[in-house]
Amino acid sequence: MNRAPATLQEHHGLWRDRSSLLRRSIAAVLWLLFASSVFGQDKPSEYQVKAAYLYNFGRFVDWPAEVTTATTGSFTICVLGEDPFGQALDATLAGETRGNQKVAARRISNPQEAVDCQILFISSSEAKRLNKIIEALGNRAVLTVSDIPQFSQHRGMIELVLEGNRIRFEVNLTATQSAGLTLSSELLKVATAVRKGRD
Amino acid sequence: MLNIRNYSISKKLTWMNMLVSAVALLLACGGFCAYDLYSFRSALVSNVSTQAQIIGDNTVSALLFNDDHSAEKTLSALAANQHVMYAQIYTPDGRPFASYWRNHPGETRPVPAIASGQTQNYWFRDGHLGLVRSIIFQGKPTGIVYIRSDLGATNDRLKSYAVIIVVVFLASLVVALLISRLSQRVISEPVMQLARTVRIVSHEKNYSIRAATSPNRDEVSTLIESVNEMLEQIQQRDGALQRAHGDLEQRVRERTAQLAVANKELDLRNREVERATQMKSKFLASMSHELRTPLNAIVGFSDLLAEGAPGPLNVKQKRFVDHIKQGSTHLLQLINDILDLSKIEAGQLELHSEEFLVQDALPEVLSTIDPLAVAKNVRLEQKLESKSLVKADRVRFKQVLYNLLSNAVKFTPKGGQISVECVDDCDFVRVSVTDTGIGIRPEDQKVVFEEFRQVDGNASDTQQGTGLGLAITKRLVEQQGGQISLESELGKGSRFTFTLIAVKPTSKIRPAAEEPSKPSVMVPSGRLTPLVLIVDDEVPARELLASYLEPEYRVAMAESGAEALKEAQRLRPDAITLDLMMPGSNGLETLVALRQNPATADIPVIILSIVDQKQVGFALGAADYLIKPVRKPTLLEAIRRHVPAPADEDSSILLVDDDPKALELLEEALRSAGYEVQSVRSGARALEVLANKVVGAILLDLLMPDIDGFQVIRHVRQEPTLKDLPILVMTAKNLSREEIALLNRETQGLLQKDSSWKHQLVAEVGRVIRGHKLAKSAGQS
Repeated sequence: MNRAPATLQEHHGLWRDRSSLLRRSIAAVLWLLFASSVFGQDKPSEYQVKAAYLYNFGRFVDWPAEVTTATTGSFTICVLGEDPFGQALDATLAGETRGNQKVAARRISNPQEAVDCQILFISSSEAKRLNKIIEALGNRAVLTVSDIPQFSQHRGMIELVLEGNRIRFEVNLTATQSAGLTLSSELLKVATAVRKGRD
Repeated sequence: MLNIRNYSISKKLTWMNMLVSAVALLLACGGFCAYDLYSFRSALVSNVSTQAQIIGDNTVSALLFNDDHSAEKTLSALAANQHVMYAQIYTPDGRPFASYWRNHPGETRPVPAIASGQTQNYWFRDGHLGLVRSIIFQGKPTGIVYIRSDLGATNDRLKSYAVIIVVVFLASLVVALLISRLSQRVISEPVMQLARTVRIVSHEKNYSIRAATSPNRDEVSTLIESVNEMLEQIQQRDGALQRAHGDLEQRVRERTAQLAVANKELDLRNREVERATQMKSKFLASMSHELRTPLNAIVGFSDLLAEGAPGPLNVKQKRFVDHIKQGSTHLLQLINDILDLSKIEAGQLELHSEEFLVQDALPEVLSTIDPLAVAKNVRLEQKLESKSLVKADRVRFKQVLYNLLSNAVKFTPKGGQISVECVDDCDFVRVSVTDTGIGIRPEDQKVVFEEFRQVDGNASDTQQGTGLGLAITKRLVEQQGGQISLESELGKGSRFTFTLIAVKPTSKIRPAAEEPSKPSVMVPSGRLTPLVLIVDDEVPARELLASYLEPEYRVAMAESGAEALKEAQRLRPDAITLDLMMPGSNGLETLVALRQNPATADIPVIILSIVDQKQVGFALGAADYLIKPVRKPTLLEAIRRHVPAPADEDSSILLVDDDPKALELLEEALRSAGYEVQSVRSGARALEVLANKVVGAILLDLLMPDIDGFQVIRHVRQEPTLKDLPILVMTAKNLSREEIALLNRETQGLLQKDSSWKHQLVAEVGRVIRGHKLAKSAGQS
């Protein structure tokens, strides 16, 4: 996103400096091309934001030491059910690390496959079997995130909610504590709601 | 600023101290201030930086989860810091995310740049501190925080610093002033004291004052000591000078007094000398008169005797008379020389310069010398090449030449030769007299021109010199701007050469030597002067004859018989002298031709020849026949015999002289020349005669008792009938300039009574009487 204005500026410079018609027309075409891509990125799509949130959640959460050491070397973000991200998640995670670990994305269809996952995004396609999935995960140290409504009230850990055009989240602290995950106060600070107790 | 240079040392020192203190204080205060500001700013930056970091840390989650409200809440904590004016959080790509305004919200600041590799950047601008810091979360840039803080504390500090600095500065200056005023005295006080002392010394000229010595041991004390030493020396020298001055004044006074005495003495002596000189002059004047008068008588009468005027003498008598003549002539010469010399020495010699040709003056001298030369059988030659006029006193020139020639004759043995040369030499005419005489020894050559010095060993001659001739000659030449020199070789002869100042010849006066072939009338004057035609082929002979005749007669010349005939017809001379031995024509033939021509037949011809052919000559009609060499008196006598005398009835001459001997002498001389003479012995008597009788001329002596010559002249000139009467003055007196001027004005001629007066007298008398007659006849018609 930083590059676009720079590129634009360069072309303005070109345009200003050069006066030949041909060059001007080429510049115009290029400008149009870049402009479209800039506008495309200017307003990130809902799932692009959500992909970033997934990654960022990981930065504010501490997993039990045995979990992170036992894993095979990568910090894995799994998507259960239909993948709503498309390319966005992979694009967001590309090259990212958490501590010494590479961050990678994995798509799974069963909760049992979430053994190696540190963060599990439960797609809205799994809304019907949400309770089963939560049940299946038990107290596993997996941070569950979903945009299924009422997720945090169903022992889901972080529920993404849409507030106006902003994406916010609610936290179920009881669920995270029982899974042995420690959430940073910073994270809690920006949460729209923090639940404690059975609900 | 410039005035500071003229401040006193104490002021300068105070100023310097003050300046140094002020500069040091300013630098110190400035340094402290700068350091404090720097450290304060550092603290400020550090403080703001910390806050930025805290804000950053606390807004990470807000940033990551787009919670601007949370971020703004975090930012609002900055309200605790009253200096933070504005804070802003940006997303990593520079979008403003959350902001904080202390007062009213203002314009959002675009994201400031942070240099790559830096996490923070800050600047002080427009009275605030701007600090930007990137928010790093887990090693990744998450956002940017910008805080703008005012410098309120800094400005407060600056203000309080300024107050402190001013107070400290002023207080320090006051202290510094006090200290420097006190301390500068250590240096300036002795210097000022010294300056005051020196001023007093130079003002009062009192060198006994000393500068107060300083207790310090520094340059100033050394200076004071040196000045004191100098003053000591000056005092000593001043004292010495004063003493010397006093001495000098005393000495000057003494000298002045001595000088005054000496002056007085000198004055007295000068007067004495003046008186003595006057007496000497008077004495000389009377001496010249008293000595010359009797001598003139001796010379004159012995001359007359020798000429046989009173009657023939026997041989013995003639020899005695010759001795008298020689002796008296010598004595007269001696007296004249002494008088001349004394006049020269007294500076009273008066020269009357005129321009004339040497050739014209030469015959007059030669006529005097020639008889001596003839008597001694010495040949006299002349080489006259000069064409210039000389400017000299004619009489003195003749005297010089006479002296040299007479000396030459005197020291040249019989048969010798004397030559007179005259050549032009630049601005001078060089006249030399060369003889083949005995010569002069080299050692004597230097002294011959000194007075009373006679060269020894030449006394054999009967004619002793006076020893003054050459001395006078030298003085005369030098007084006329010339020089005299001598070359001589013992036994071979001598050559005396003198120079006279030359004047370029003008066309009016033509040297006779220029056209020797043409006969000319040498003395053209009144027609009444008898004219004699001289016929001779030799120039010296013609000139010698002319010199014999000239004062009395006019002369014309011819150098050949043919020319003589022509000239005789043209000029009708009163007489002709004819040489017989001439190349081309025999003189006798010329005589015959003259006789045959009716126009010239009556002219008396006097033959002058070395050959004795008297009978033939007389037979052919010669009036007279003279054998060469002819002496002047003989020639004149012969011519006078044949030329009618100019005397007639009113040509009687009144002789006035108190000396009977002089009267007798003059009477005899004039009578023999054909004049009627009446003699009187006093002025009074002369006036009586003049009142009763007509005379042709007066011959007057000046020095007479009672009525002297001057009074006679005055009386005569006052008488209307006599005022044109010619007066000739004859005197032995040394005349003053005024007297000469008077005589030149009032009389017709002036004769000095000296050795060669007689012929001159006759000639003068003739001239004067003829002139008078001419004037009279002109007046009558």
